[in-house]
Amino acid sequence: MRALSWIYIGAIFTFIFLPVVVLVLFSFQDSRLPVPPFNGPSLKWYTQVLNDRGLMEALTNSLLVALVSAAVALLLGFFAAQGLARIRLPGSVLMRGLLIAPMTVSYLIIALGLLSMFNDLGFRPSLWTTGVGHVVINVPLCFAILFASMGDHQKNAERAARDLGAGEVQVLFLVTAPMLKPALLAAYFLSVTFSWDEFIIAFLLTRFDVTLPVEIWSMLRSGLSPATNAIGSLVFLVSIAILFLLEFTVFRKPRA
Amino acid sequence: MSIETTDKRRAFGFVAPALLWTCAFFILPFAAMILLSLAHLEGRTVVQGYDFGNYIKIFTEPSLLKGIRVSLEITLVVTVISVVLAWPLAWIIATRVPPRYQRLAIMLAVLPFWTSYVVRSYAWALVLGQNGVLMQGLIGIGILDAPIQIMATRAATVIGFVHFFVMLLTLTIYSNLIQLSPNYARAAADLGANGWNTFRLVILPLTLPGIMTGAFLTFVLCIGDYITPQILGGNNELTMPQLIMLQLGRRGDFPMASALSVVLMALVTVAYALSARWLKMERV
Amino acid sequence: MTADVTLEGVNHRFGDFDALRDITLSFDAGEFVVLLGPSGCGKSTLLFILGGFLEPRSGTVKIGGQDMAGVAPKDRPTTTMFQDYALFPHMSLRDNVGFGLRMKRQSKAKRNARADEMLDLVGLLDKARAKPHELSGGQRQRVALARALAVEPEVLLLDEPLGALDLNLRRQMQEELKAIQRKVGTTFIHVTHDQEEAMAIADRIVVMNAGQIEDQGRPEDVYLRPKTLFSANFMGDINRLPNTLAKASGTTAACVRPENIGLSGEIALGDATLESSAFFGTYHRCHFRIAETTYVAHLPIGALPEPGATVPLFASNPVLLEMPE
Repeated sequence: MRALSWIYIGAIFTFIFLPVVVLVLFSFQDSRLPVPPFNGPSLKWYTQVLNDRGLMEALTNSLLVALVSAAVALLLGFFAAQGLARIRLPGSVLMRGLLIAPMTVSYLIIALGLLSMFNDLGFRPSLWTTGVGHVVINVPLCFAILFASMGDHQKNAERAARDLGAGEVQVLFLVTAPMLKPALLAAYFLSVTFSWDEFIIAFLLTRFDVTLPVEIWSMLRSGLSPATNAIGSLVFLVSIAILFLLEFTVFRKPRA
Repeated sequence: MSIETTDKRRAFGFVAPALLWTCAFFILPFAAMILLSLAHLEGRTVVQGYDFGNYIKIFTEPSLLKGIRVSLEITLVVTVISVVLAWPLAWIIATRVPPRYQRLAIMLAVLPFWTSYVVRSYAWALVLGQNGVLMQGLIGIGILDAPIQIMATRAATVIGFVHFFVMLLTLTIYSNLIQLSPNYARAAADLGANGWNTFRLVILPLTLPGIMTGAFLTFVLCIGDYITPQILGGNNELTMPQLIMLQLGRRGDFPMASALSVVLMALVTVAYALSARWLKMERV
Repeated sequence: MTADVTLEGVNHRFGDFDALRDITLSFDAGEFVVLLGPSGCGKSTLLFILGGFLEPRSGTVKIGGQDMAGVAPKDRPTTTMFQDYALFPHMSLRDNVGFGLRMKRQSKAKRNARADEMLDLVGLLDKARAKPHELSGGQRQRVALARALAVEPEVLLLDEPLGALDLNLRRQMQEELKAIQRKVGTTFIHVTHDQEEAMAIADRIVVMNAGQIEDQGRPEDVYLRPKTLFSANFMGDINRLPNTLAKASGTTAACVRPENIGLSGEIALGDATLESSAFFGTYHRCHFRIAETTYVAHLPIGALPEPGATVPLFASNPVLLEMPE
């Protein structure tokens, strides 16, 4: 039974890592097509990609939209979670449902709705409209994570702070936020990831300035090329580097 | 004003911004979309009627009806395969891997998540192509004589989807499993149950809510995805998201695209209604 | 059904932590044994070894004379009551209690009848169809007991089952456990860190510390005639007399329980000042000071001196114990 388990893990992990290995391997391809046989290794595609202005602009755009929209979503979600966790408001079940609802709707539909609405209002597609869309999809996430982390432990600390004379703003910044740091960081990090990687909303809601996934999509239209492998691998490797960094600094469980 | 009223007002003030944003940029567009679905396109202009013309078309025109069938078939197959493949992996990591390495194992299992979704589907196109890694590999070791067509077929779409959802489900099922007290399995064994009975009568029922939640999530994400079918699926069969984008792109037919979207939402709602009873379980 | 239990030279380690060191014990069939000790002393580890959830690094475990090496929990004549009860949330009480019988392939009618019988024994027959989450903590604990006894084990292992209950409920459950054990006659092995609980229910107490056995015997023996200083300290308050007053020397110490310190007795301690006292219902718990030494004494109601007063203090029934190095 033991052996069977390890065989199964091996098989599944092979399946899971196959496309990634192919992606990274053929980013170092020396010839024109990212398919076997492997000629190389060569860094020429990486050089090409890093010198591609359109691509680099798209990358910066993605970063901007991700960092800003995630921050907005975090703020909205944090205050909403605070409001609903503190006191039993009439209709709080309805409000909670409303805030979480966008998570169950296809991003395509959200994008379509926003595109339609912005068209009617005369707003052209841009990074701003994309940002709005990303906030819509990330508020439910931030709200859900933060609402779940607001427990009695933290509520009691807030009560103690008020008892000692702290005003509401002080309680929020000196007690609540620090206590929720892991949840806040997790929610922000996840929101940045979702926004950074998001395609369909960005595709429909941008025109001239695009995000990276949209730019990569255009690259795909012109056929298979190791350049696509290169930019894909670059993003992947940087992402997991950041992930491991965070894992070993911020998210590490303290050894009690 | 009593303290309680001030508190209530302040709390409401805290919730208001998020609610306003959701209403303005989610509810309102969605309501507008429903309204739009009742209009129709004449030439290049949208004429607002209040008829179900688009909906009738969806359920009578073969190409559109086929889209619904294709979406449902693919999504159901993907959901079932992904759950069946992910559960054992999650279980093995939760029980057979030493606790110190479990976090690492899970992180490894979901590492490919961090490739962009578009790039991930593209990578599968590379693997499954006629002269891709898989074909050349199979020919190389002699299983095949000539490349067979996987790209641009339903199989490719399913493989691409299953790859993503196996990772997602492994994560969600694993999180569910480790919250289960080890004493349940011990108690069952203590009372005479062998491995199979313990799994069938105790572990499976207790993890079912977690599995159903994951399956529902898979259903929703899969049926609404445009990217994977578009990159891997070819043009013979179109899923609903592809149909929606087609209506938008080629003809600018917002009303029809809206109607298709509403139908998609309806399917998701039906799925929710069917799985709702598994999504709750009292924990003792 | 019941059986005797023997452990010989049982050792166990977790990594480089010695959980159990050379444990040798022998329990008679039908005994109510309590394994008593602080957290980390190895009592739960020992229980899990008896239940078959852990294989000891070395040593022999025999139940009813049969060697249990390599025998899985499902094949052992033991059942365990877990600390968190581990009732199956998705099954009714009747199905929970009947689970072990179902594993023995009994027919539905037979096992339902037996399950009802056990639920009746613990007073929960009227809730047979309810689910565990509908019950209170005390009720769940009773169901866990019923489930464990339904399969007629030879040995019942209880892992701190009363820890989550409040005081009154705990006292009540202690009496019920004792009564049920006498009725069914099964050997009970009960783990706790509460010395009062141990004294209330045990036929025999085994005091453990850091993986070793400090003391064992009937409650009176362990309390009145402890064999080690640790055991004496764990079972209750203990006072140490100066060596000159009792026949102690070098490595031994004379120890006296608070109820044996008072205003009369065999050994005169000298004049003591009453520093503080607290009322405990049936006695006053007093702190007396002689020079640099403080004595804890339990004085009967009505015998309390004025605060700050100086009175002659006496001790009786000292016990000589080895001092640890």
